[in-house]
Amino acid sequence: MKFDRAKVQRLIADSRLFIILLLLGAILTILSPRFLTIENLSNVLWSVCLIGIMSSGAIYAPVTGGIDLSVASNASLSGIIAYELMNVGHMHWVLALAITLAFGVLIGLVNGVLTTKFRVPAFIVTMAAKTYLFGFAMLVSNGATITIMGPPQFLAIGVGKFLGLPIPIYIMLVMIIASHILLKHTGFGRKAIAVGANEVAAKLSGVDPDLTRMIVYSISGVTASVAGIVMASLTQQAYAPNASGYELDVITAIVVGGTSLMGGNGSVAGALIGAVMVGFINNGLNLMNIPASYQPLVTGVVILLALILNQGIKMPAFLRLLKRA
Amino acid sequence: MLIASRRRLILIGLLLAIGAALSLLSRSFLTLDNLMTLLQEASQTGIVAIGFTLVLITAGIDMSIGAVIAVTAMVCANFLTYTHIPAALFIPMSLGVGLLVGAFNGFFITRFKLPEFIVTLASRGILAGLALIIAVKDSMGFVSNVYIQDPVYLSFGGTIGPVYIITIVFFAMAFLTQSFLKRTRAGTNVYATGANPTAARLSGINTKRSIYGVYMFSGFCASIAAIFISSRMMTAMPDFGIGSEMDVIASVVIGGTPFTGGVGDIWGTVLGTLFLALIKNGILKLGISPYVQPIAIGGIIVVVVILDVWYKSYAEGQARRSARRARESDSRSAAA
Amino acid sequence: MSEQKEESGLLLECRGINKSYNGPMVLTDVDFSMRHGEIHALVGENGAGKSTLIKIITGVTNRNSGTMRFEGRDIGLEHSRHAAQTLGIAVIYQELSLIPGMTVAQNLFLTKEPRFRMVRLIDIRKMNAMAQEIIDCYGFHLKATDIIDHLSIAQRQTVEILKALNSKASLVIMDEPTSSLTSTETSQLFDIIRKLKEEGIGVLYISHRMEEVYNLSDRVTVLRDGRKVAVLDEAQIDPAEIIRLMIGRRLEESESHHMLSRRDGEKVLEVEHITSERKFTDISFSVHAGEILGIGGLVGSGRTEVLRALYGIDPIDSGSVRFFGKPWTPGVAQSIRTGFGFIPEERRLQGIMGAISITGNIGITNLDTIRKSLFVSDRKELSLARKAIGLMNIKPADPAVPVGNLSGGNQQKVVVGKWLIRDLKVLFVDEPTVGIDIGAKEEMYQTFAQLSAAGVAIILVSSDLPELTRLSHRILVLRKGRVIKEFAEGEVTEEDVLRASSGLVEGGAK
Repeated sequence: MKFDRAKVQRLIADSRLFIILLLLGAILTILSPRFLTIENLSNVLWSVCLIGIMSSGAIYAPVTGGIDLSVASNASLSGIIAYELMNVGHMHWVLALAITLAFGVLIGLVNGVLTTKFRVPAFIVTMAAKTYLFGFAMLVSNGATITIMGPPQFLAIGVGKFLGLPIPIYIMLVMIIASHILLKHTGFGRKAIAVGANEVAAKLSGVDPDLTRMIVYSISGVTASVAGIVMASLTQQAYAPNASGYELDVITAIVVGGTSLMGGNGSVAGALIGAVMVGFINNGLNLMNIPASYQPLVTGVVILLALILNQGIKMPAFLRLLKRA
Repeated sequence: MLIASRRRLILIGLLLAIGAALSLLSRSFLTLDNLMTLLQEASQTGIVAIGFTLVLITAGIDMSIGAVIAVTAMVCANFLTYTHIPAALFIPMSLGVGLLVGAFNGFFITRFKLPEFIVTLASRGILAGLALIIAVKDSMGFVSNVYIQDPVYLSFGGTIGPVYIITIVFFAMAFLTQSFLKRTRAGTNVYATGANPTAARLSGINTKRSIYGVYMFSGFCASIAAIFISSRMMTAMPDFGIGSEMDVIASVVIGGTPFTGGVGDIWGTVLGTLFLALIKNGILKLGISPYVQPIAIGGIIVVVVILDVWYKSYAEGQARRSARRARESDSRSAAA
Repeated sequence: MSEQKEESGLLLECRGINKSYNGPMVLTDVDFSMRHGEIHALVGENGAGKSTLIKIITGVTNRNSGTMRFEGRDIGLEHSRHAAQTLGIAVIYQELSLIPGMTVAQNLFLTKEPRFRMVRLIDIRKMNAMAQEIIDCYGFHLKATDIIDHLSIAQRQTVEILKALNSKASLVIMDEPTSSLTSTETSQLFDIIRKLKEEGIGVLYISHRMEEVYNLSDRVTVLRDGRKVAVLDEAQIDPAEIIRLMIGRRLEESESHHMLSRRDGEKVLEVEHITSERKFTDISFSVHAGEILGIGGLVGSGRTEVLRALYGIDPIDSGSVRFFGKPWTPGVAQSIRTGFGFIPEERRLQGIMGAISITGNIGITNLDTIRKSLFVSDRKELSLARKAIGLMNIKPADPAVPVGNLSGGNQQKVVVGKWLIRDLKVLFVDEPTVGIDIGAKEEMYQTFAQLSAAGVAIILVSSDLPELTRLSHRILVLRKGRVIKEFAEGEVTEEDVLRASSGLVEGGAK
């Protein structure tokens, strides 16, 4: 019986990641006894959910060799839009959410068009988007922190449980699985990978790189929107800086999960594990009474490490280079 | 370059036009006080933008500038609080922060060939955390407000006549850096490194040294800005500068330095900085919601980049068409 | 202006140069010499060793053995680019090494800009004046303050030459300098070269264009298969003779003459008067089922452009194409669906996705086959990959290996294999065996033969003359974007093709 070597290799890589995750959990348990309590873990859970939901769509940008820095602002804005439509505009919650998601797609599409048709580098486009979306969010909400009291179906998204587990987990799992299937089992997923691996060769094989990228950023936009809705429901709040900083967590999760920023590969399962790791790290810092503002520090170190390791530079070579420098 | 000077004229024209409009629409715009404040704000961003421009010319990017400001401010705060070293000494020493960070960035970019964006983004995160770690804290472990009372330190935030010192420093730095870029060999090498690194190396230019240089200079500029910012605010907080990247990027983009490298100059950045400060000031004076500001900044960046791309392809098309016409008339006269 | 040198000593003297890159000998026992103030052409087919010899002279790579003397001084085995520059050897590459965004003067004086004595600032006025002096000295129509980006390719070449002159070069090497020039610009370049000669500077000139070699050179050295075959003096220079020497005699005489055969299958593709501005003009031909139509011509004659246009990558300005008699508008995705295939010229840049497995590379072109509504069947993709691996004999026979890790020959097999498993009607092939070992080459030829037997029409572009003449049933030769000759029946030799490519058709040079 022949094994599919690629699948086995991926399995090994992901399980290596998983082992590191378990180790991390073990270390944190030792460092803080409060870590392994249900109360604490459910705190970790919701930030992991949000990062996971955003990553499920945002992962496609690095797969095609780009990046999406606007996901956090998109999410915050989506929460505010949902509130405005439902509670101020008295729209039916389903319709309101549908329109909010449409906005998410639109935001992503604008990013996609700017980076393909106008040849603006993805990080500039999405970084500028991050800024102006934040501005819009502030404008619409008037800088206020909005408390969301209803409708109850909307709140159920974040607070409700099904079979004992919070609904956001199901949302995240569904999106992660859908993203995984999209990436690994559909034509679109292969096209995205091809565009990232070698755009010219992909074009010669019949792929339209511009169209592919526009779809990629739209996907990233809509998952950011979903995350924003879930976040607004969970926290029962909507305000402009709500999801601030999440884009860094998302990129970390994706990179740690094994996806290269240069394009050509991607692991959704890895991104999920990465999301859990980031959640653990942030939570661990909290437990150790290190203020939240330190998170970027650790995240920065983690990204650098993950990058260096991913680029294939092994430890001995790294040390050798240090000696030479 | 014809296109660049035309662009600059348009920018100057816009600046004057907007300035004129604001003078008419707002009574408090055309006052000496407001204009000097505007210049001061512009200079704060502008000093950092000068260093950033050099990085951009090498086709790189530095996302860590905001965090460098924070760390530099914290270093000064520590010097003030815990030592008796006079400001005249520790201020120059703290400028070393920027140089060190720049060297760090340069190392990872040249040795490991990692993308500049990610490296400087990561160092930004690291530095932001570092700023918090070294921040002066009270007995409870909370970050405390360090009030600056040292007269030497405070003098940086002062004025000479009606003009703020920072403004003078900004323009002086602009002039010096422009001279460096256009009139020294090292400056020419920076352009070459960004325009065609292979050709540059073939001609014997040490591109690694140029890259280290620009990142260290960028960090250095950020550190200088930190001194002025904390001096003016008379305090040093660990979140100084965080988030200022967009202003710097917007200024440089408006000024006409592209991300592709090889071109650009400081006067363009100066104009871009003034333009951005004008817009921000205008939003304030016209009573428009301050939340419009980030929309304006992000939007302007996108619009300017699009316009530049359009104009470039238009100009290239023109050049190709005229070149072809020249060749055709060439071959026609040859055949005759 | 320097005086004419009356040297009896040689400018450059190479003896017994040997070179191999971990494998077969690229240069064997090559002698090459240049006199001062001589225009010396270096000719030979692709792969004859010209570029390698140049690389050795300019220090880009080093010879295994042999002696080299420049201006009477020995050059050791550890020669370097920097050393060559210092000695006075200058090269004008195809991909020019000028700095865009800078002026002519700035490029000329890069790293050596004149500075004021007191302050270490660049004296821009002096730099421009000095540059203009050099420009005027040689009678070029350039301004020191012109920006490189605004100059034509011919003018940029001139700047490169000026750079060489400014660094006091005594040997200037030019590699195919006229491939992007108009005829006026070419004759201007020749004037420049003759001026260099007057200065006593030696010019080493690589070219495929016989008329240039004939018009310009004092001497010609012919390389073939890594060996020096002949050195011709001015009186002996004759394009036809040079071509004969380049091709030479083969061991198996029978191989050098190929029988062409008309294929009377259905007309698969009919191309009528297609034109693409500045790429090719008024091209017409047709291909029959099972026929291998070879397209010959020099580099820059438009062959690849025609292929790309027919496949649908680049637009066609005028003319029409018929596919099985029906009008056809090319477009990549459409072409693939209809049964077209395309083997690109540059394997690494255009043909393979190195980070992705064999399975992935094969799958991306065959999405229509392995798709089942929305989803892609991994199993089908894998079986396609295995099929391709088997058909092309790809080693290692592991579908999960990233294509970037394969050898050149196997990479190309992947590129070809992904088309093989489809229902092909037409296959466009562009330089299929560059950088591939002999064994893989033979396998590739067999594959083409099989395809042809199965009724696939193949349009083959190749600069490898033995390959072209051996495989093709008919040969079309392009020159400067037009069809100059069709070899449709009887015998054809490599020499015939090269002569046609060089414009040496019956009735004199064109």
